[in-house]
Amino acid sequence: MMNRLDRIAFVGLLAQALFGCATAQPPQELLDARSAYDAASKGPAAQLAPAQLDTAKQSLAKAEQSFADNGDKPMTKDAAYVAERRAELAAAEGAREKADRARAQMDKDFKNSEIDAVAATKDRAAKAQADLEKERQARSEAEKNLADANKKLGAAMASLAEIAKVKEESRGVVITLSGSVLFATGKSDLLPIAQQKLTDVAKALNDQGYQSLLVEGHTDAQGSADKNMVLSQQRADSVRMYLVSQGIPSDKIRSQGLGSSRPVADNNTAEGRANNRRVEIVVTPLGK
Amino acid sequence: MREFCLVGIALLLTACGGAAVPQEPLTAAKAAVAGAEVGGAASDPKAALHLKLAKEYVAKAESLIADGDNEEAARIIDRAQADADLALALAKETAAEKEAQDTKESLDRLRKQAQ
Repeated sequence: MMNRLDRIAFVGLLAQALFGCATAQPPQELLDARSAYDAASKGPAAQLAPAQLDTAKQSLAKAEQSFADNGDKPMTKDAAYVAERRAELAAAEGAREKADRARAQMDKDFKNSEIDAVAATKDRAAKAQADLEKERQARSEAEKNLADANKKLGAAMASLAEIAKVKEESRGVVITLSGSVLFATGKSDLLPIAQQKLTDVAKALNDQGYQSLLVEGHTDAQGSADKNMVLSQQRADSVRMYLVSQGIPSDKIRSQGLGSSRPVADNNTAEGRANNRRVEIVVTPLGK
Repeated sequence: MREFCLVGIALLLTACGGAAVPQEPLTAAKAAVAGAEVGGAASDPKAALHLKLAKEYVAKAESLIADGDNEEAARIIDRAQADADLALALAKETAAEKEAQDTKESLDRLRKQAQ
Protein backbone atom coordinates (compact mmCIF):
# COMPACT_ATOMS: atom_id res chain seq x y z
CA MET A 1 0.00 0.00 0.00
CA MET A 2 1.39 3.38 -0.97
CA ASN A 3 0.99 6.25 1.40
CA ARG A 4 -0.17 9.58 0.19
CA LEU A 5 3.27 11.02 -0.29
CA ASP A 6 4.45 8.06 -2.31
CA ARG A 7 1.33 8.30 -4.34
CA ILE A 8 1.92 11.93 -5.04
CA ALA A 9 5.54 11.29 -5.94
CA PHE A 10 4.35 8.54 -8.21
CA VAL A 11 1.84 10.84 -9.83
CA GLY A 12 4.56 13.44 -10.20
CA LEU A 13 6.87 10.98 -11.90
CA LEU A 14 4.04 9.80 -14.09
CA ALA A 15 3.23 13.39 -15.04
CA GLN A 16 6.85 14.06 -15.84
CA ALA A 17 7.02 10.90 -17.97
CA LEU A 18 3.81 11.75 -19.77
CA PHE A 19 4.56 15.37 -20.45
CA GLY A 20 8.23 14.85 -21.07
CA CYS A 21 9.24 17.28 -18.35
CA ALA A 22 11.95 14.96 -16.97
CA THR A 23 14.49 17.76 -17.34
CA ALA A 24 12.53 20.11 -14.99
CA GLN A 25 14.59 20.50 -11.83
CA PRO A 26 12.73 20.88 -8.54
CA PRO A 27 13.23 24.38 -7.09
CA GLN A 28 15.63 24.81 -4.17
CA GLU A 29 12.65 25.45 -1.88
CA LEU A 30 11.29 22.00 -2.62
CA LEU A 31 14.66 20.34 -2.05
CA ASP A 32 14.92 22.18 1.28
CA ALA A 33 11.38 21.14 2.21
CA ARG A 34 12.14 17.49 1.46
CA SER A 35 15.30 17.42 3.55
CA ALA A 36 13.62 19.35 6.40
CA TYR A 37 10.79 16.83 6.45
CA ASP A 38 13.28 13.97 6.29
CA ALA A 39 15.19 15.38 9.27
CA ALA A 40 12.03 16.02 11.29
CA SER A 41 10.64 12.54 10.68
CA LYS A 42 13.87 10.99 11.97
CA GLY A 43 13.89 13.14 15.12
CA PRO A 44 11.83 13.12 18.30
CA ALA A 45 8.86 14.65 16.43
CA ALA A 46 7.95 11.20 15.07
CA GLN A 47 7.11 10.09 18.61
CA LEU A 48 6.41 13.34 20.41
CA ALA A 49 4.78 15.63 17.80
CA PRO A 50 2.99 13.27 15.39
CA ALA A 51 0.19 15.74 14.61
CA GLN A 52 2.62 18.48 13.58
CA LEU A 53 4.68 16.00 11.60
CA ASP A 54 1.54 14.91 9.76
CA THR A 55 0.73 18.53 8.93
CA ALA A 56 4.25 18.89 7.57
CA LYS A 57 3.77 15.76 5.51
CA GLN A 58 0.59 17.12 3.98
CA SER A 59 2.27 20.46 3.26
CA LEU A 60 5.11 18.70 1.51
CA ALA A 61 2.61 16.61 -0.48
CA LYS A 62 0.91 19.82 -1.57
CA ALA A 63 4.21 21.26 -2.73
CA GLU A 64 5.09 18.07 -4.57
CA GLN A 65 1.67 18.15 -6.19
CA SER A 66 2.17 21.76 -7.23
CA PHE A 67 5.55 20.89 -8.68
CA ALA A 68 4.02 17.95 -10.54
CA ASP A 69 1.14 20.08 -11.83
CA ASN A 70 2.80 23.41 -12.41
CA GLY A 71 6.53 22.78 -12.38
CA ASP A 72 8.94 25.37 -11.07
CA LYS A 73 6.39 28.15 -10.66
CA PRO A 74 6.11 30.74 -7.82
CA MET A 75 3.15 28.83 -6.37
CA THR A 76 5.32 25.69 -6.11
CA LYS A 77 8.06 27.66 -4.41
CA ASP A 78 5.54 29.20 -2.01
CA ALA A 79 4.06 25.82 -1.17
CA ALA A 80 7.55 24.33 -0.67
CA TYR A 81 8.51 27.30 1.49
CA VAL A 82 5.50 26.67 3.71
CA ALA A 83 6.23 22.91 3.76
CA GLU A 84 9.80 23.50 4.93
CA ARG A 85 8.55 25.72 7.80
CA ARG A 86 5.94 23.14 8.76
CA ALA A 87 8.66 20.45 8.93
CA GLU A 88 10.89 22.70 11.02
CA LEU A 89 7.96 23.48 13.28
CA ALA A 90 7.31 19.77 13.80
CA ALA A 91 10.99 19.26 14.66
CA ALA A 92 10.88 22.18 17.12
CA GLU A 93 7.70 20.86 18.76
CA GLY A 94 9.30 17.42 19.06
CA ALA A 95 12.42 18.90 20.65
CA ARG A 96 10.31 21.02 22.99
CA GLU A 97 8.26 18.03 24.07
CA LYS A 98 11.43 16.05 24.65
CA ALA A 99 12.90 18.84 26.80
CA ASP A 100 9.61 19.17 28.69
CA ARG A 101 9.54 15.46 29.47
CA ALA A 102 13.18 15.46 30.54
CA ARG A 103 12.47 18.41 32.81
CA ALA A 104 9.39 16.74 34.28
CA GLN A 105 11.46 13.65 35.07
CA MET A 106 14.19 15.80 36.62
CA ASP A 107 11.57 17.66 38.65
CA LYS A 108 10.51 14.33 40.05
CA ASP A 109 14.14 13.36 40.70
CA PHE A 110 14.69 16.77 42.25
CA LYS A 111 11.82 16.27 44.69
CA ASN A 112 13.06 12.81 45.60
CA SER A 113 16.64 14.03 45.97
CA GLU A 114 15.40 16.91 48.03
CA ILE A 115 13.65 14.48 50.33
CA ASP A 116 16.83 12.40 50.50
CA ALA A 117 18.94 15.48 51.10
CA VAL A 118 16.66 16.68 53.88
CA ALA A 119 16.80 13.22 55.47
CA ALA A 120 20.59 13.13 55.14
CA THR A 121 20.90 16.60 56.63
CA LYS A 122 18.63 15.62 59.49
CA ASP A 123 20.73 12.51 60.13
CA ARG A 124 23.90 14.54 60.06
CA ALA A 125 22.45 17.14 62.38
CA ALA A 126 21.21 14.49 64.81
CA LYS A 127 24.59 12.77 64.79
CA ALA A 128 26.42 16.06 65.28
CA GLN A 129 24.05 16.84 68.16
CA ALA A 130 24.73 13.43 69.73
CA ASP A 131 28.49 13.82 69.25
CA LEU A 132 28.34 17.25 70.80
CA GLU A 133 26.38 15.95 73.76
CA LYS A 134 28.83 13.07 74.21
CA GLU A 135 31.75 15.46 74.02
CA ARG A 136 30.11 17.80 76.48
CA GLN A 137 29.57 14.95 78.91
CA ALA A 138 33.14 13.72 78.49
CA ARG A 139 34.42 17.23 79.09
CA SER A 140 32.31 17.78 82.14
CA GLU A 141 33.43 14.41 83.49
CA ALA A 142 37.06 15.26 82.81
CA GLU A 143 36.57 18.61 84.52
CA LYS A 144 34.99 16.91 87.47
CA ASN A 145 37.85 14.38 87.65
CA LEU A 146 40.39 17.15 87.46
CA ALA A 147 38.60 19.12 90.16
CA ASP A 148 38.48 15.98 92.33
CA ALA A 149 42.17 15.32 91.71
CA ASN A 150 43.05 18.93 92.51
CA LYS A 151 40.99 18.79 95.67
CA LYS A 152 42.66 15.56 96.70
CA LEU A 153 46.05 16.95 95.84
CA GLY A 154 45.34 20.06 97.83
CA ALA A 155 44.26 18.02 100.84
CA ALA A 156 47.25 15.70 100.57
CA MET A 157 49.62 18.61 100.23
CA ALA A 158 48.10 20.29 103.24
CA SER A 159 48.47 17.18 105.38
CA LEU A 160 52.02 16.66 104.12
CA ALA A 161 52.91 20.25 104.87
CA GLU A 162 52.00 19.63 108.51
CA ILE A 163 54.62 16.94 108.86
CA ALA A 164 57.27 17.86 106.33
CA LYS A 165 58.53 20.66 104.15
CA VAL A 166 56.97 20.48 100.70
CA LYS A 167 58.11 22.49 97.72
CA GLU A 168 57.70 22.30 94.02
CA GLU A 169 60.80 22.06 91.91
CA SER A 170 61.30 21.42 88.24
CA ARG A 171 62.02 17.72 88.98
CA GLY A 172 58.73 17.37 90.83
CA VAL A 173 57.26 17.90 94.29
CA VAL A 174 59.99 17.54 96.88
CA ILE A 175 59.08 16.45 100.41
CA THR A 176 61.93 17.13 102.80
CA LEU A 177 62.12 15.26 106.11
CA SER A 178 64.64 16.39 108.68
CA GLY A 179 67.30 13.73 109.45
CA SER A 180 67.18 14.39 113.15
CA VAL A 181 63.52 13.44 113.25
CA LEU A 182 64.07 10.18 111.34
CA PHE A 183 67.30 8.70 112.63
CA ALA A 184 69.62 8.59 115.59
CA THR A 185 73.09 9.93 114.89
CA GLY A 186 75.07 7.60 112.65
CA LYS A 187 72.19 5.09 112.43
CA SER A 188 69.92 4.11 109.62
CA ASP A 189 67.09 2.58 111.67
CA LEU A 190 63.94 4.68 111.70
CA LEU A 191 62.93 6.21 115.01
CA PRO A 192 59.38 5.35 116.18
CA ILE A 193 58.23 8.95 115.66
CA ALA A 194 59.72 8.76 112.15
CA GLN A 195 57.63 5.69 111.36
CA GLN A 196 54.50 7.55 112.36
CA LYS A 197 55.44 10.48 110.15
CA LEU A 198 56.24 8.23 107.22
CA THR A 199 52.91 6.43 107.66
CA ASP A 200 51.20 9.81 107.16
CA VAL A 201 53.43 10.58 104.18
CA ALA A 202 52.60 7.21 102.59
CA LYS A 203 48.92 7.81 103.16
CA ALA A 204 49.13 11.30 101.61
CA LEU A 205 51.08 9.98 98.63
CA ASN A 206 48.58 7.17 98.02
CA ASP A 207 45.72 9.67 98.21
CA GLN A 208 47.39 12.08 95.87
CA GLY A 209 48.52 9.67 93.18
CA TYR A 210 51.89 9.93 91.45
CA GLN A 211 53.88 8.44 88.64
CA SER A 212 57.04 7.54 90.53
CA LEU A 213 58.93 8.33 93.73
CA LEU A 214 62.60 8.80 94.44
CA VAL A 215 63.95 8.70 98.00
CA GLU A 216 67.21 10.61 98.39
CA GLY A 217 69.44 10.38 101.46
CA HIS A 218 71.60 13.40 102.32
CA THR A 219 74.16 14.00 105.09
CA ASP A 220 76.15 16.95 106.38
CA ALA A 221 79.84 17.30 105.53
CA GLN A 222 81.22 15.88 108.79
CA GLY A 223 83.03 12.59 108.69
CA SER A 224 84.42 10.80 105.65
CA ALA A 225 82.65 11.19 102.31
CA ASP A 226 82.60 7.40 101.78
CA LYS A 227 80.97 6.74 105.12
CA ASN A 228 78.46 9.53 104.49
CA MET A 229 77.65 8.06 101.09
CA VAL A 230 77.04 4.60 102.60
CA LEU A 231 75.01 6.04 105.47
CA SER A 232 72.87 8.18 103.18
CA GLN A 233 72.17 5.15 100.94
CA GLN A 234 71.20 3.03 103.96
CA ARG A 235 68.92 5.75 105.29
CA ALA A 236 67.27 6.23 101.88
CA ASP A 237 66.81 2.43 101.68
CA SER A 238 65.23 2.41 105.17
CA VAL A 239 62.72 5.09 104.22
CA ARG A 240 61.96 3.36 100.91
CA MET A 241 61.38 -0.01 102.62
CA TYR A 242 59.12 1.54 105.20
CA LEU A 243 57.06 3.35 102.55
CA VAL A 244 56.75 0.07 100.60
CA SER A 245 55.51 -1.56 103.79
CA GLN A 246 52.87 1.21 103.94
CA GLY A 247 51.46 0.33 100.51
CA ILE A 248 53.69 2.22 98.05
CA PRO A 249 54.28 -0.21 95.14
CA SER A 250 57.96 -1.22 95.16
CA ASP A 251 58.32 -0.79 91.41
CA LYS A 252 57.33 2.86 91.68
CA ILE A 253 59.83 3.91 94.30
CA ARG A 254 63.60 4.05 94.08
CA SER A 255 66.24 5.10 96.62
CA GLN A 256 69.54 6.85 96.24
CA GLY A 257 72.33 7.91 98.64
CA LEU A 258 73.93 11.23 97.81
CA GLY A 259 76.12 11.76 100.94
CA SER A 260 77.04 15.38 101.48
CA SER A 261 77.18 16.18 97.76
CA ARG A 262 74.09 18.37 97.76
CA PRO A 263 74.04 20.64 100.78
CA VAL A 264 71.09 23.02 101.14
CA ALA A 265 72.70 25.03 103.94
CA ASP A 266 76.06 26.08 105.39
CA ASN A 267 77.97 23.09 106.83
CA ASN A 268 79.99 25.38 109.12
CA THR A 269 77.09 26.05 111.47
CA ALA A 270 75.21 23.58 113.60
CA GLU A 271 71.90 24.79 112.22
CA GLY A 272 73.14 24.50 108.63
CA ARG A 273 74.43 20.98 109.24
CA ALA A 274 71.08 19.98 110.77
CA ASN A 275 69.31 21.22 107.65
CA ASN A 276 71.70 19.31 105.42
CA ARG A 277 70.96 16.05 107.22
CA ARG A 278 67.74 15.12 105.53
CA VAL A 279 65.78 12.71 103.40
CA GLU A 280 64.01 14.08 100.33
CA ILE A 281 61.15 12.29 98.61
CA VAL A 282 60.87 13.50 95.02
CA VAL A 283 57.38 12.92 93.66
CA THR A 284 57.00 12.78 89.88
CA PRO A 285 53.35 13.72 89.38
CA LEU A 286 50.93 11.85 87.18
CA GLY A 287 51.03 12.74 83.53
CA LYS A 288 54.70 13.70 83.44
CA MET B 1 -27.02 36.83 -27.91
CA ARG B 2 -26.48 39.96 -25.89
CA GLU B 3 -27.46 38.12 -22.73
CA PHE B 4 -25.03 35.39 -23.53
CA CYS B 5 -22.31 38.01 -23.96
CA LEU B 6 -23.06 39.54 -20.63
CA VAL B 7 -22.86 36.19 -18.95
CA GLY B 8 -19.59 35.56 -20.72
CA ILE B 9 -18.19 38.91 -19.66
CA ALA B 10 -19.34 38.33 -16.13
CA LEU B 11 -17.64 34.93 -16.07
CA LEU B 12 -14.50 36.49 -17.53
CA LEU B 13 -14.45 39.18 -14.90
CA THR B 14 -14.97 36.71 -12.09
CA ALA B 15 -12.16 34.55 -13.44
CA CYS B 16 -9.68 37.41 -13.78
CA GLY B 17 -10.41 39.63 -10.83
CA GLY B 18 -11.15 36.18 -9.40
CA ALA B 19 -9.73 35.88 -5.92
CA ALA B 20 -11.36 37.95 -3.21
CA VAL B 21 -9.25 39.89 -0.71
CA PRO B 22 -7.80 37.21 1.63
CA GLN B 23 -8.86 39.13 4.69
CA GLU B 24 -9.31 36.21 7.05
CA PRO B 25 -5.91 34.57 6.38
CA LEU B 26 -4.27 38.00 6.67
CA THR B 27 -5.88 38.57 10.06
CA ALA B 28 -4.85 35.09 11.18
CA ALA B 29 -1.25 35.64 10.06
CA LYS B 30 -1.10 38.97 11.90
CA ALA B 31 -2.45 37.29 15.01
CA ALA B 32 0.22 34.58 14.67
CA VAL B 33 2.92 37.28 14.43
CA ALA B 34 1.60 38.93 17.58
CA GLY B 35 1.43 35.53 19.30
CA ALA B 36 5.06 34.79 18.40
CA GLU B 37 6.11 38.13 19.83
CA VAL B 38 4.27 37.47 23.06
CA GLY B 39 5.86 34.00 23.12
CA GLY B 40 9.33 35.57 23.23
CA ALA B 41 10.33 34.99 19.62
CA ALA B 42 12.09 38.34 19.45
CA SER B 43 14.62 37.37 22.12
CA ASP B 44 15.64 34.04 20.57
CA PRO B 45 17.96 34.48 17.53
CA LYS B 46 16.53 31.64 15.40
CA ALA B 47 12.94 32.55 16.23
CA ALA B 48 13.64 36.25 15.68
CA LEU B 49 14.72 35.56 12.10
CA HIS B 50 11.40 33.88 11.29
CA LEU B 51 9.46 36.56 13.14
CA LYS B 52 11.16 39.15 10.96
CA LEU B 53 10.36 37.19 7.77
CA ALA B 54 6.73 36.81 8.86
CA LYS B 55 6.40 40.56 9.35
CA GLU B 56 8.00 41.26 5.99
CA TYR B 57 5.58 38.85 4.27
CA VAL B 58 2.60 40.46 6.01
CA ALA B 59 3.75 43.85 4.73
CA LYS B 60 4.30 42.45 1.26
CA ALA B 61 0.87 40.80 1.26
CA GLU B 62 -0.78 44.07 2.26
CA SER B 63 0.95 45.90 -0.54
CA LEU B 64 -0.11 43.16 -3.02
CA ILE B 65 -3.70 43.47 -1.81
CA ALA B 66 -3.52 47.22 -2.32
CA ASP B 67 -2.35 46.53 -5.90
CA GLY B 68 -5.28 44.12 -6.32
CA ASP B 69 -3.12 41.01 -6.66
CA ASN B 70 -5.11 38.95 -4.21
CA GLU B 71 -4.04 35.58 -5.57
CA GLU B 72 -0.32 36.16 -4.93
CA ALA B 73 -1.15 37.94 -1.67
CA ALA B 74 -2.84 34.78 -0.43
CA ARG B 75 0.28 32.72 -1.10
CA ILE B 76 2.52 35.29 0.59
CA ILE B 77 0.18 35.25 3.57
CA ASP B 78 0.71 31.47 3.74
CA ARG B 79 4.44 32.16 4.00
CA ALA B 80 3.85 34.74 6.74
CA GLN B 81 1.68 32.30 8.67
CA ALA B 82 4.26 29.51 8.35
CA ASP B 83 7.11 31.75 9.53
CA ALA B 84 5.10 33.16 12.43
CA ASP B 85 4.08 29.69 13.59
CA LEU B 86 7.68 28.47 13.32
CA ALA B 87 8.96 31.50 15.24
CA LEU B 88 6.65 30.71 18.14
CA ALA B 89 7.55 27.01 18.10
CA LEU B 90 11.27 27.81 18.13
CA ALA B 91 10.86 30.29 20.99
CA LYS B 92 8.95 27.68 23.00
CA GLU B 93 11.57 25.04 22.22
CA THR B 94 14.38 27.32 23.40
CA ALA B 95 12.48 28.16 26.57
CA ALA B 96 11.80 24.49 27.30
CA GLU B 97 15.43 23.56 26.74
CA LYS B 98 16.63 26.36 28.98
CA GLU B 99 14.23 25.29 31.69
CA ALA B 100 15.40 21.67 31.37
CA GLN B 101 19.01 22.84 31.60
CA ASP B 102 18.27 24.96 34.69
CA THR B 103 16.49 22.04 36.32
CA LYS B 104 19.43 19.77 35.52
CA GLU B 105 21.84 22.23 37.12
CA SER B 106 19.85 22.58 40.31
CA LEU B 107 19.45 18.82 40.45
CA ASP B 108 23.22 18.38 40.08
CA ARG B 109 23.80 20.96 42.81
CA LEU B 110 21.37 19.22 45.10
CA ARG B 111 22.97 15.84 44.48
CA LYS B 112 26.39 17.28 45.22
CA GLN B 113 25.07 18.69 48.49
CA ALA B 114 23.49 15.40 49.47
CA GLN B 115 26.79 13.57 49.14
